[in-house]
Amino acid sequence: MLPPLKPIAMKERVSMIFIEKGEIDVIDGAFVVVDKNGVRTQIPLGSIACIMLEPGTRVSHRAAALASRVGTLLVWVGEAGVRLYASGQPGGARADRLLYQAQLALDDKARLKVVRKMYELRFGKKPPEKRSVEQLRGIEGARVRKMYQLLAKQYGVRWRRRDYDPEVWDASDLPNRCVSSATACLYGITEAAVLAAGYAPAVGFIHTGKPLSFVYDIADLFKFDTVVPLAFRIAAKKPREPEREVRLACRDLFRQKKILKRIIPTIEQVLAAGGLEPPKPPKEAVPPAIPEKEKLGDAGHRG
Amino acid sequence: MLVIVVENAPPRLRGRLAVWLVEVRAGVYVGNLSRRVREMLWQQIEAGIEDGNAVMVWSTNTESGFDFLTLGKNRRIPIELDGLKLVSFLPEPDEGEKEGW
Repeated sequence: MLPPLKPIAMKERVSMIFIEKGEIDVIDGAFVVVDKNGVRTQIPLGSIACIMLEPGTRVSHRAAALASRVGTLLVWVGEAGVRLYASGQPGGARADRLLYQAQLALDDKARLKVVRKMYELRFGKKPPEKRSVEQLRGIEGARVRKMYQLLAKQYGVRWRRRDYDPEVWDASDLPNRCVSSATACLYGITEAAVLAAGYAPAVGFIHTGKPLSFVYDIADLFKFDTVVPLAFRIAAKKPREPEREVRLACRDLFRQKKILKRIIPTIEQVLAAGGLEPPKPPKEAVPPAIPEKEKLGDAGHRG
Repeated sequence: MLVIVVENAPPRLRGRLAVWLVEVRAGVYVGNLSRRVREMLWQQIEAGIEDGNAVMVWSTNTESGFDFLTLGKNRRIPIELDGLKLVSFLPEPDEGEKEGW
């Protein structure tokens, strides 16, 4: 008998794979895409952070179960990476982390500290003192608009504003499509990392009220020095297949910048700025009857 | 790290590869050599493989940490998925297409 499957750490994985067409199933225990001609392609599922499933794919129950056992996020994406639905790596595996995150989000002082830290990491210096989260968000909005314009100018791209309609993909202009594709890649791996670390994607600090609020918060820390300049660079070349070009470039960039190694430590760093201690188990808590087995994965992975 | 696997290769070529590499199993050669030596080895394989087939894998600075080249007919063919190299397994050819006796 083979020993049971275990997830491996996020930092040891490659970033993502887009699967465009085919039946996804488990054959001989491996995650396999079978195309209409019967050609099989094994996907090294366990060593990928997230699988992006595009229109034209069918996934079997066994394949989803395998993805969950090796801790790999499955993301169903629409045209060019607009996210529809994700699963395969159930979050919330760590009550202590969830409570810690919720405690920071509920405490106004702590939340402000976390938000300030996020802006500090993004802009390289501390934001002005005595501002509320709302005011900081306003300052950020202005800076972001300016950054888009600056980058557009730098790469010689015509830019009006960030504008996209997830329902009608082709309606956006080329630079916006490139930005959307590139951010979709970043959101996918960020969500995988947030879940792997044991936090909740929905409990955000700057963003709130969306299923991926925290993912957007964390992705924003990396966005403007990684995927956004890349999107403009690609848009400037006016390629025939912008989405493919963007993905190729994203993969290279994620590798160069070692993003998968950095996301989880960055999450810990911004949360630690809140200045609250992670909650200790209550006195009457009963320790688990069966001790945890040794894990190869991250804290939030169900080993 | 460099790994070469040959199938159905003439003994001449297998002996040649064993000049630089360790044959850890039949047709499986392992070593740790530079890019220039690797290219030289590949030339040797191209020259000597005849009806056989070969694959050469080496560690490099791609996202998966390795890259590979193939040569000759095999049901496994390399494919590229947005910058990541994987392998597709072709179905068995239909009976009619099979080479007969």
